[in-house]
Amino acid sequence: MENTVEKKMNSKEQVLLTKKDINKSFYRWYFDAEVSNCYERQQGVAFCYSMIPCLKKLYTDKGELSGALLRHLNFFNSQGTWSTPIHGITLSMEEERASEGEITDGAITGIKTGLMGPLAGIGDTIDWGTLKTIIYGIAVTFGITGNVLGAIIPFAFMLITFFIGKNLWALGYKIGKESVKNILQAGWIKELISATSILGLFMMGALSASYVTLTTALKFKIAGTEIILQDILDSIAPGILPLLVVFGIYYILKNKSQKYGRISLGIVLICILGAFIGLF
Amino acid sequence: MVFALALAAGIWWWIGQSKMGYTFHAVICQPIVMALPFGIIAGDVGTAMKIGANVEMVYLGMVAAGANIPADECLAGCISIPIALLTGMDPAAAVTLAVPFGLLGVFQDQIRRTLQAVFAHKADAYAEQGNVKGIERCAVAYPLALGFLLRFPIVFAAIYLGADVVEKLLDVIPEWLTHGLSVTGSTLPALGFAITIFIIGKNIYLPFFIIGFFAVQYLGISTMAAAIFGTCIALLITFLRREQMAK
Repeated sequence: MENTVEKKMNSKEQVLLTKKDINKSFYRWYFDAEVSNCYERQQGVAFCYSMIPCLKKLYTDKGELSGALLRHLNFFNSQGTWSTPIHGITLSMEEERASEGEITDGAITGIKTGLMGPLAGIGDTIDWGTLKTIIYGIAVTFGITGNVLGAIIPFAFMLITFFIGKNLWALGYKIGKESVKNILQAGWIKELISATSILGLFMMGALSASYVTLTTALKFKIAGTEIILQDILDSIAPGILPLLVVFGIYYILKNKSQKYGRISLGIVLICILGAFIGLF
Repeated sequence: MVFALALAAGIWWWIGQSKMGYTFHAVICQPIVMALPFGIIAGDVGTAMKIGANVEMVYLGMVAAGANIPADECLAGCISIPIALLTGMDPAAAVTLAVPFGLLGVFQDQIRRTLQAVFAHKADAYAEQGNVKGIERCAVAYPLALGFLLRFPIVFAAIYLGADVVEKLLDVIPEWLTHGLSVTGSTLPALGFAITIFIIGKNIYLPFFIIGFFAVQYLGISTMAAAIFGTCIALLITFLRREQMAK
């Protein structure tokens, strides 16, 4: 008890961030996360940009402010909505650092770089892998008949992810650096990931069947009777070729290369060449 | 109308791929979303939506994970929808126009991300001086200005000058090439779905992919039905597992 009193007397006057500051920071992040993206730092500049309103308030000394700005211009890359606990924690750490001065630069950078990978994995699975594809997939079923709802429904994806990001940001600030590791270990987040993975894969299967179509035009003449290859394939199971294509590309991604640009160029070339020689 | 569409599409690609608003841009970059304003300008919302939905199908599963994007659906839509509206092209044929532009757009993103390193270094210098306003310019104003130069002129010119050219081009390009491009359009979605499977990265759940695939092939269920059944399966497995653990 005496210790803490002493500590408080030694420390500088403590400046606390208000809810308004925290929200303002989040809006900046949501707006800018990908705008200033470059290969060298990825979202680094945006991270710093989002911290500015709070850093300005916490560090009135120009030298300290400059140090804090440089600290957050470093490389940062994660998924924008699910990475937000990191930003919240960073704010709480900066707040503590400004008043107590006991937190080192390394501790702040360590939290950022340590959490950005795992949280990106969660965000990619839930947001981009599952939510986005399902919502857009439903929008397409409306758009294909000329229904305007097709253009409106995708905005649901924006609203949901904005809500998630804003709340995780505030949560990160509230619970601070200690508890975030517990959250990542917690049962519910594992359950959420496994449930969305199941749903995501199920939907990928359903959408692949609806939207990937590939048939072969190959015909053989054996003993005077014409054999159409596609008919044989269909009699085994419908949609064998699309299924093979999806798994073929998945195999390449998993074992060979993740250069998407090259793979899509390869698909274009194979399809056009195949059409030229009469394969498709 | 050509001028208005060219202007709208040019601005749309500029704003869309400047990526303002983390998931807002992911919405406005979709061909199916931009189809509405383009359709209003062209005075035919129904056709525009059909074209948008057809182009959207190609890019449904595409995820931009990490540093590289597989295709630029925004450019694909900004070029193919206005031109298809202007030339009265069949919605399915618009896909053949979208595919090559979707690939070209990837280069724009690579150029953008390479050049923007300059702004990051400038931001470092401003940070040294404690110049907050300078960093803010590096984060917002400079990337937007660069994006305008990189994106607006290409789309504006392509539509303003290109609609006629495309129409003539479509008459002369050989049958096998248009057929090849339409085959590409219906095969390319496979890449998006494969990327998503790769990102989800749970091999033991792959049978769920097979179930979803053949549920549509054999039973012909709609996307909405698949979402409902899929959600129930996912919840069932989660709850059953929890029950098992509680024992």
